[in-house]
Amino acid sequence: MPKRFNITLCDGPTCLHKKSKEIVSAIEQELKKHGLAEKTGINLSGCLGMCGKGPVMIINPGYVIYGSFAEKDIPEIIEQHLLRKKPVTRFIIDEDHLYNRFFRVFGDVNFFGKQMRIALRNCGIIDPENMDDYISLRGYEALAKVLTDMSPEEVVAEVKKSGLRGRGGAGFPTGIKWELTAKEKSDEKYVICNADEGDPGAFMDRSAIEGDPHTIVEGMVIAGYAIGAKKGIVYIRAEYPLAVKRLEKAIEDARKEGFLGVNILGAQFSFDIEIRLGAGAFVCGEETALMLSIEGHRGMPRPRPPFPSVSGLFGKPTLINNVETWANIPVIILDGANWFKSIGTEKSKGTKVFALAGKIKNTGLVEVPMGTTLRQIIYNIGGGIPDGKKFKAVQTGGPSGGCLSEEYLDTKIDYESLAQAGSIMGSGGMIVIDEDSCMVNIAKFFLEFTQNESCGKCTPCREGTKRMLEILTRITEGKGVEADIDKLQRLGNMIKKASLCGLGQSAPNPVLSTIKNFRAEYVEHVRGKSCRAGVCQQLLSYVITDKCVGCGACKKVCPASAIISGGAKTRHAIETNKCVKCGACFKICKFNAVKISRTKEPR
Amino acid sequence: MLTPLEIIKKKRAQALNRIISKGYLSAKRVYVGMATCEIAAGSKEVMEVFQEAVKSGLNDVYLSQKGCAGRCNLEPTVEVVEQDKIPVKYGLVTKEKAKEIIERHLKKGEVIKEWIIK
Repeated sequence: MPKRFNITLCDGPTCLHKKSKEIVSAIEQELKKHGLAEKTGINLSGCLGMCGKGPVMIINPGYVIYGSFAEKDIPEIIEQHLLRKKPVTRFIIDEDHLYNRFFRVFGDVNFFGKQMRIALRNCGIIDPENMDDYISLRGYEALAKVLTDMSPEEVVAEVKKSGLRGRGGAGFPTGIKWELTAKEKSDEKYVICNADEGDPGAFMDRSAIEGDPHTIVEGMVIAGYAIGAKKGIVYIRAEYPLAVKRLEKAIEDARKEGFLGVNILGAQFSFDIEIRLGAGAFVCGEETALMLSIEGHRGMPRPRPPFPSVSGLFGKPTLINNVETWANIPVIILDGANWFKSIGTEKSKGTKVFALAGKIKNTGLVEVPMGTTLRQIIYNIGGGIPDGKKFKAVQTGGPSGGCLSEEYLDTKIDYESLAQAGSIMGSGGMIVIDEDSCMVNIAKFFLEFTQNESCGKCTPCREGTKRMLEILTRITEGKGVEADIDKLQRLGNMIKKASLCGLGQSAPNPVLSTIKNFRAEYVEHVRGKSCRAGVCQQLLSYVITDKCVGCGACKKVCPASAIISGGAKTRHAIETNKCVKCGACFKICKFNAVKISRTKEPR
Repeated sequence: MLTPLEIIKKKRAQALNRIISKGYLSAKRVYVGMATCEIAAGSKEVMEVFQEAVKSGLNDVYLSQKGCAGRCNLEPTVEVVEQDKIPVKYGLVTKEKAKEIIERHLKKGEVIKEWIIK
């Protein structure tokens, strides 16, 4: 049953030494005393974002936030609030902050209660096609605030102070990008939203646009004011038709209400946004290729410098940020840079959205403060690995990222720590891998993707990834030799150093990180011709055991005529050199007589 | 001349009025997930069931679509929000389940606990 009340207690790192355990037991004691224990849910959250006011707890329904209370105040709060319906005003934090609004609806569910939502603050709680919903939750107030109270320089300074870094993957400080573009003198400047999300398994940007398109619009208009641009462009892939439709509607509605167009909200500032559709080439997510694509050319990266802030779209100074970065801007303006930089780690501020997928119980969108560990995301929020399987690795950063083994589970997530561990933050894909997956095969999957998407302009990426893929394919087919592993590493490091753009510079990461963290599996493939996960088809062999009753079913389905028998009701056998390893005999056998051996030759 | 902040305050009041005039203050508000992922899981059909019910006279209910909250493997999701109660969140809602939510929860106030997202 849903509970009558729910108490969410902040269990973030700063609140911890303010005794959350003691507080929980004090709350439980009081609830028991009043017979409310059954009716009240208690959950421990991640950071609630009010670190200076700890301990902090939220009582729902009603989203009443209590802070700076002591253990001795709990009896009063429980009795007055839950029993007498009289909230104890002297401990109430009365702030209408933008972040974590979703706690009103979702706070009592563990999966959501342990998150902190800044970029996705409105996703799942408002109607994305109704601008009134957005406005009623202080939408476009950040824009109004900068137009009323702040000079463009002050806006840039605020974003710089917040410590926000690009959420597209590279993590370049957003404020510095804004400052550089603002500094340029030009009659024309552009603001671009990079919504060309293409990592396999990543869907953060799509959900953010589909769930709350106006926040992107608002963020971009604020940037236009800050850097002195009149025009914004959203580059989004055509494969996201619903996101495109909602964004189109948001832009149209914003124009009607005067949030876009000439003299926005009556101020001496004009700005408008148009949408450009991408055809889905992965490389167009790279900023210089993206801008060429907007200009109507084939999307191919070019060397930098000059950086887009100096010479970007149509040769004009251009500010380009990712969807999630834009979604943070209104919060930084309204809740303040000082608040924003109180969240996260020393060098990475705020939160990051991850698309949690793969072998995990609770798949979904997870937004957590920087500094949260991989273990917390995978086990506390994601619920761990299903079917009692063992954790093997977590892949972050999509095809540009790497696979981290169990020993990295306590890595605190930020740009630096993930890079140090051999992966990257990336745009936020997070794929959990269990013991049933072959790491060589996973590396091959990602390399296949980048190899396909390589634009072909520079040789290291075009030829290098091709050669790497050939070697990997050889290894998974049991034709690899031991020197191949070193060759992969040498080639990979060369491609990383010599490629022109981020695609090539990061393409070898899945291979290099799996060799680093799972070298034993590579060695097994080349030396023992075996795949411990049983994934690499060519490294499996099928044998018929003495359970065989000689029914002949396997013989009928075998496409390669590899089954030999001395007639009905005698034990059949498989001719290994004819077997194509399709598994048809294994599937058809009713007597479990066909065994799969995870080595190339039957043992 | 009004400042942009004054203008937005006015606009917010107007927006709230418009939402209220659409029935936002109804006893129950129902939110159906309608992002690409939810639709792929079948939420369009679920939405149609609720729309049909509202059209044929289901009283005191405010029906709205919403984006994806991010609970992928339990989609489609539907929330029933009532004043002074913790919102009820249903997962894996089908056409049939939607009909039952209307009959049992929206009409009779019975929360169907087996379908709740925990």
